[in-house]
Amino acid sequence: MNFEKLLHIDRKVIFVLMGVAIVIPLVFPFRLPVGEQPPTRGLFDTIDRIDPAKQALMVSTDWTPQTEAENQPMTVALIRHGLARKLRVVVISFYNESIPMANQAVMQVVEEYNSQAKNEAEKVVYGRDVVLLGWVPPPIVPILGMGQSITGVYKVDYYGAGTDTLPIMKGLGSYDDIGLVCAVSGGSSPQWFLQFAQPRYGVKIAAAVTAVSAPDLYAYIESGQLSGMLGGMKGAAEYENLIEEKYHVGGRQRAMEGMGPQSIGHLLIMALVIMGNVGYFVARRKAS
Amino acid sequence: MRVKLPLGLMIFFGILGFTDSFVPHPWAQNFHGVLRNKVLIVISVFALALGIGNLISHHVTRIKRKGPNWIHSYTTLISLGIATLIGIMGGVTGNGWLPTRVGGFKYDIQTIYFKVLVPLQSTMFALLAFFMASAAYRSFRARNLLAGLLLGSAFVVMLGQVPIGELLTGFLPPGFHAADISTWIMQVPNTASKRAIELGLTLGVLGTMLKILTGIERSWLGGGR
Amino acid sequence: MRGNVRYLAWAGVVVALGILFYSTRSTISHDPWTWVGVFLTVAVFSFLYRENRIYRFAEHLVVGVANGYSISFTVHRVIVPYVIKPLSAGFKALAADGPSLKLLDPNSSANFIILVPLAIGLLYFARFIPKYAWLVRIPMAIFMGYYTGQTVPAAFTGVVFPQLKATLVTQASFGGDPWLGVWKVLVLVGVLTTLTYFFFSREHKGVLKWSAKTGIIYVMVGFGASFGFTVMARISLAIGRFYFLFRDWLGILH
Repeated sequence: MNFEKLLHIDRKVIFVLMGVAIVIPLVFPFRLPVGEQPPTRGLFDTIDRIDPAKQALMVSTDWTPQTEAENQPMTVALIRHGLARKLRVVVISFYNESIPMANQAVMQVVEEYNSQAKNEAEKVVYGRDVVLLGWVPPPIVPILGMGQSITGVYKVDYYGAGTDTLPIMKGLGSYDDIGLVCAVSGGSSPQWFLQFAQPRYGVKIAAAVTAVSAPDLYAYIESGQLSGMLGGMKGAAEYENLIEEKYHVGGRQRAMEGMGPQSIGHLLIMALVIMGNVGYFVARRKAS
Repeated sequence: MRVKLPLGLMIFFGILGFTDSFVPHPWAQNFHGVLRNKVLIVISVFALALGIGNLISHHVTRIKRKGPNWIHSYTTLISLGIATLIGIMGGVTGNGWLPTRVGGFKYDIQTIYFKVLVPLQSTMFALLAFFMASAAYRSFRARNLLAGLLLGSAFVVMLGQVPIGELLTGFLPPGFHAADISTWIMQVPNTASKRAIELGLTLGVLGTMLKILTGIERSWLGGGR
Repeated sequence: MRGNVRYLAWAGVVVALGILFYSTRSTISHDPWTWVGVFLTVAVFSFLYRENRIYRFAEHLVVGVANGYSISFTVHRVIVPYVIKPLSAGFKALAADGPSLKLLDPNSSANFIILVPLAIGLLYFARFIPKYAWLVRIPMAIFMGYYTGQTVPAAFTGVVFPQLKATLVTQASFGGDPWLGVWKVLVLVGVLTTLTYFFFSREHKGVLKWSAKTGIIYVMVGFGASFGFTVMARISLAIGRFYFLFRDWLGILH
């Protein structure tokens, strides 16, 4: 066999192979056990330990449409977990481009809960159980300001209602009343919280980031600064699975559905690298 | 005046910012609250205006000079105008005074965001999956020991991060599955190298910031007078 | 020969699309906006074939729409509540009650003090008037100064100190699982050697040479891990787009 041919596959063929590797498992789905990684478990346990009577969960949605496929399932899963635990869930954002996505995630989970509620008490009410506080620029303003007063920074919510009139904000003064801030991010917002909020106000921080950012944050997990982390779509899938196992919350598990194509995509890239290397070594041996 | 005034303001506000975390007195904290919640918010949004101004001037110049792809500058300018008009007049949630619905057809800024901006931006990033596959095939070679380490680490992590890795390495003794080794790589060598890089970067940034605060580094003034 | 292959490939694409539309005729979306999204998705994906006019159109469209969206959001969420509302309330109070010191209280809902940051912010536009272009340095100086001043202590307390502290190995590191202690030692060695690899003020000779050589091993393993995660990220994003095509548009997935 002429292994050197392996060096000359047209890039359009690689593009088609990549497309096929994603589409086939998407159209013919198969479910795989996702397991759990320590940072995912860390985040899950931290939220599980928050006392609903005393503290709330804050989700900072700092991602733009570019990373929607990774960050959107994380946002949904975190809000689901908070509401399953009867925690008050406060959603904020540092980018105006994240706000409609954050709103979509909040409304999706509210609808999920309410469609499954057996009685009025089980229903989730926007403004009482969950709120989207919106966007106040630049990020340093809300990060530092919330150490003094959350309603001082966010005077109105996304829909323009005065935050001091919303039932959810009663007793939510500052970071002291937040059990965990989880920064769902396509960039570096977890580090901003770690620098500006944690040392000064002692608030617990976790991250739910794109896979590109995840390796950089392991140093902060090891140091104990981050209470947990979701890394990429796999982290989101693990989290969806953990919530499903413990709380049996319904709703679409978008990250879990993506694990089939993700697996095949990885295998394809590995196969391509192996083929390229085999061709390279054969050609090198012949040349020498 | 053109240099000293901005430099003096920068040093003054730098000292103010620096002292914020060391002066917990309510009067000082209230002052910082006003500075951030009233002043910084308003000032910061005008930086966006500067960016938009530059964008418009760039495209207008390109149309005037008939530069490369000048016809597409009309696309940017017209879409900018339409989105701005619909967004400002129609309201961010479609509740403004400009009608944003004709029968069942909506064209408010939220719809434009979800149906135009989201597909465009997310597909641009999705393209990278294809280019990455091609680039990995073409140039990811184990030419020497160090490149081999990079490749080996990448392989283990790629396998360990997806469920199929567990299926393929499940026959190995516990602790040697792809997911276990991948977790070890992330928690030990990856943590060590990323921590060192992060420390180096932070110290570098701190050095530059201190030079800016003390007026030694003045390149932000843009040169000239 | 090559030309024939190309025609055959295009014919294959047309036939495949025909089959796709026919088999999804009952589930395919009838929302015109979804079709717009599909057109734009395909327009961007067309770059994979080659750079073309439709891709360039999409590229320029994204810049215009993204900025238009940001402007409108900024006007409604910042300019109106933080500038226009306090000023209009201020004018109303002035007309009703006459001048009062309360109108200069920044915490009041009706105040004129907001004119100061507004004036400073407007100085950004001086950039477009060559004679007064230098005035743009004033808002920049205020913002940069405050941000830099805040960042210096925050970077020490949020990054440098806790990261150094976490690197230290103590007796307690071996308290539980002894392997964890060993890994802590490996992290310590890795941090020190990686730092020496990036230390260029002295020639890498003797101890420094071996330290740097160990450091590069850590760096390579770390970069390999980053590559693996980046592959994961990019594939996830592609999955997201195919979801849109197969679920929202064709209605094949549920």
